[in-house]
Amino acid sequence: MAPGGCLLLALLLLAGTVQGQHWSHGWYPGGKRDISAPQAVPAWSPWLVPCRGRKSRHDPPAKSKASRLKVPPPVDPAELCVVTERYRQHRLVLGALRSIFRSEVVQRKHEAQKDAEDSAAVLEEHRLLMAWNDAENARQRARREERIRKEKEEQKMQKLQAMENKAKVMEAFLKEKEKEVLQLQEEAKTFITPENLEARIEECLDNPRNYNFAIDKEGRIVKRTALS
Amino acid sequence: NLHLITPGSRLLKSYRGGHVVIRFALGGCTNRPFYRIVAAHSKRARDGKYLEQLGCLDPLPNAHGEKVAGLNLERLRHWLGCGAQLSRPAEKLLGLAGFLPLHPMTITNAERLRRRRRPAQESVVPPAEGGSQEPGAPV
Repeated sequence: MAPGGCLLLALLLLAGTVQGQHWSHGWYPGGKRDISAPQAVPAWSPWLVPCRGRKSRHDPPAKSKASRLKVPPPVDPAELCVVTERYRQHRLVLGALRSIFRSEVVQRKHEAQKDAEDSAAVLEEHRLLMAWNDAENARQRARREERIRKEKEEQKMQKLQAMENKAKVMEAFLKEKEKEVLQLQEEAKTFITPENLEARIEECLDNPRNYNFAIDKEGRIVKRTALS
Repeated sequence: NLHLITPGSRLLKSYRGGHVVIRFALGGCTNRPFYRIVAAHSKRARDGKYLEQLGCLDPLPNAHGEKVAGLNLERLRHWLGCGAQLSRPAEKLLGLAGFLPLHPMTITNAERLRRRRRPAQESVVPPAEGGSQEPGAPV
């Protein structure tokens, strides 16, 4: 009987713990009686001792708190007036103190700055550096002006040169043309015009010339063949 | 070298917004708290990197029943001048120390405590004196 009863108990227990849900494991979708829920690790077991778990915002409130009525804390109006007035005074005083401290910090900063700036050595160094800077600027300006002047001069020279060259070229050209014109004028004297056509023909017929000759490299006539 | 990351980039955290606060950073061990009064960015962790330590507070009373706190008033003035905010317990502590005016709630809570204690005293005193004297005007 006892072993049979123990077996029965064990079976019942097994059946009971299969689909249990616990809020610390997260609620399975489908509700408490969902049979398709995976066979998760049971909530309580000898080797999984639970710690004091807390609820997250998604867990429902407990059944014992179902009749709980949330009430704001009681406030005594007279005390509230007094406390409000006290807060106002307190904030005034705090603001005043903060402005005092702020002015102190600013003053200290200015003093530190002045100490860093007004020391005689720093001023002297500053003066020397400025003087050196001015000298450098003057020197560079002198060099720059010199350079510019030289460039201007060079440009002028080049312009003059160019003009002269142009003039020369023009002159040469004109001379060439003049020569050609003169040559042409000279040659024009030997042209055959309708007036002296007859005279020239007569002249050629009267003086037959023999063009049948050979010349050597020096240009002297070497051989003549007689006119047939 | 591609694997050479500048050492400064990992040490400087930059936040958007936030302000300097003077608050308590908790230290100590289990069942033994200890607070450091600290000026830090409001977005830092409570016990994280701070700008400067301005004092300390031991919340547990010592052998003589005193709660001991240390404050660096000079640096406190500097930080308050730079625009640091105060947390409520820091304000209350400084009020009790006398550096700032007393916090309203300190006064209010003391009044409430006194009010609660007086009926208890009156209820204790009259039965002790009522037997020996006639009941006089209430104190």
